[in-house]
Amino acid sequence: MSAKAETAIRGVGRASLDTLLERSGVGSISSQARYDALSRYEELPVRVAIRGGRTWKQDLEKLDLTDLAVGDDDAVEFGLEPSPAARRSGDDKFASLALAFARTGLFIDVPDGVVLDEPLDAGFQGRESAVFSYTLVSVGAGGRATVIERVRSESGTPLVCGIVEIVLAERAHLTYAVDQRAAATTRLIVTRRASLAADAQLEIACAELGGLHAVSRVRAVERAPGARVQTVALFFSDGAQHVDLESETIHAAGNTQSQTIVRSAGTDRGQGRYIGNIKILADAHGADASLRDDALLLSAGAHIDSVPALEIAANDVRAFHGATVGAISEEELFYAQTRGIPRAEAERMIALGFFEPAVSRFPTEALRDELRVALENKLGAKAV
Amino acid sequence: MSERGLQITGLRANVQGNEILKGIDLTVEPGSVQALMGPNGSGKSTLAFSIAGHPSYEVSAGSVTLDGEEILGLAPDKRAKAGLFLSFQYPAAIPGVSVANFIRSARQSLHPDDLTPAKFRKLIFEQLDVLEMDAAFLSRYVNDGFSGGEKKRLEMLQLAMLAPKYAILDETDSGLDIDALGSVGASVDALRKSETGKETGFLIITHYPRILQHITADRVHIMLDGRIVKSGGPELAHEIEREGYDAIREQVAASVG
Repeated sequence: MSAKAETAIRGVGRASLDTLLERSGVGSISSQARYDALSRYEELPVRVAIRGGRTWKQDLEKLDLTDLAVGDDDAVEFGLEPSPAARRSGDDKFASLALAFARTGLFIDVPDGVVLDEPLDAGFQGRESAVFSYTLVSVGAGGRATVIERVRSESGTPLVCGIVEIVLAERAHLTYAVDQRAAATTRLIVTRRASLAADAQLEIACAELGGLHAVSRVRAVERAPGARVQTVALFFSDGAQHVDLESETIHAAGNTQSQTIVRSAGTDRGQGRYIGNIKILADAHGADASLRDDALLLSAGAHIDSVPALEIAANDVRAFHGATVGAISEEELFYAQTRGIPRAEAERMIALGFFEPAVSRFPTEALRDELRVALENKLGAKAV
Repeated sequence: MSERGLQITGLRANVQGNEILKGIDLTVEPGSVQALMGPNGSGKSTLAFSIAGHPSYEVSAGSVTLDGEEILGLAPDKRAKAGLFLSFQYPAAIPGVSVANFIRSARQSLHPDDLTPAKFRKLIFEQLDVLEMDAAFLSRYVNDGFSGGEKKRLEMLQLAMLAPKYAILDETDSGLDIDALGSVGASVDALRKSETGKETGFLIITHYPRILQHITADRVHIMLDGRIVKSGGPELAHEIEREGYDAIREQVAASVG
């Protein structure tokens, strides 16, 4: 990070902490403690990489951006308490674990009306020990931001356990992408949950490509009319990898929309499971939900279970779900081969194309290209 | 002596245990146009798929040589590499793969590095013009959500871009309106007049004679029940148009009886 950007963050740090503490319902704490927290910024293994040109630096003056360590004693003293919703998460062991031991994380607070033109690129890098993290992304009324969360680990990282909370105020618009390519020995259990106020819009896209066992949960609650959620997820289990993906969208108010698109593939002995839930609560009249989930099996040893479920308690709603699990069609392969494309290459091309409806919905061309390359590598494509 | 041509000799083939091709002899010379006509179910598409190497079509006897090289037993992509092209009656959709990428991969497989990217682009845009398509076509996914006319135009675009020695067009006219048929005809015409395409031999498989108003056949062959029962000049197509396949069937029955 450039020195200038850092100064800007320090400059707004106090105000942002106050905002955070106010929202999280924690009582007052000493100024010293707050600045101690900020001073740890440098030591933390998490960085917000800020990219982009002039527009960004101008906007930065208006941006509250703080990165805090949260953990054991710290939580008590500094009060980066999770929001009330997160505190109530006793039903989820791993989310609670992440909160209890969180020593790293991000706090991204986009104030009312602030529009960030450039994406925030946030990297989590696991090293020799387990990683517990708590991240809070808050976008104020009419604010707009794109956040890219990258999860990486070294082979010595046994566990990444985290919780990400997203709070969107009225008309806030957040694009949140996850690019998870942890080492093949790391287990990951991450819960991401979002709450949307009226007319708020969330596009969340998760690529779960790494890890030995990756458990990824995405939950969005549309609390007020006009909220819209697009959930996109892709995973590709290879080797002995196991990916467990759950998505849940809750329409708690009328005239809310959701679209869920999941593409998964398995090869070698890769295992996968997708559970997709859409809940339309009793008052959510005029809700419009769709869920589309397609899985591709590229070897006899691979296995993917797919369990989409709709739970509808309101009348006059539109809801659709569809799921497929299958291999590459012989007709597609034959067609490509008659064009001179060798079978193995045709398989790679078709499999890569299979992911495209998901990949194309990730933010930034650079990220989309990175994901395509990562998928190609998993498919064993030769460098062209 | 290496004999030029796509030469089909005594070809027999089964689909799911039923013999569909009962001994086909047919030669497509370089630069010639052979029309193969017949009613539905006569085995025309089975012939096309058997030559191209579809895994569901089991060849039980005979040979298919391409400029002297036996291609039966080769994988479909190797047959393409030898110079064969099949335009499908019902081309498969490949979602997520763009037309441009697909054709580039195919061209690269068949003719590695023979065109610079700039020349490739120039060539593909020329062909789009001939087919009356715009550039947006290139970024669409292969046959995904295409109309019947768009599918056949994509087949013709690939035919032009891949420059095969021998092309089999399977029912390319089916499901086309008159405009689409015209641009398909123009595309084949343009290819036959070009330096790369003037030696290309065509086997045009059709139920109806109307495509032959756009592409003139040197010879017309009539197929019934897995056999070629009659061959002749272009006038044979007109005979079919006037009298239908039943007349031919009766002639054949009479000559056998």
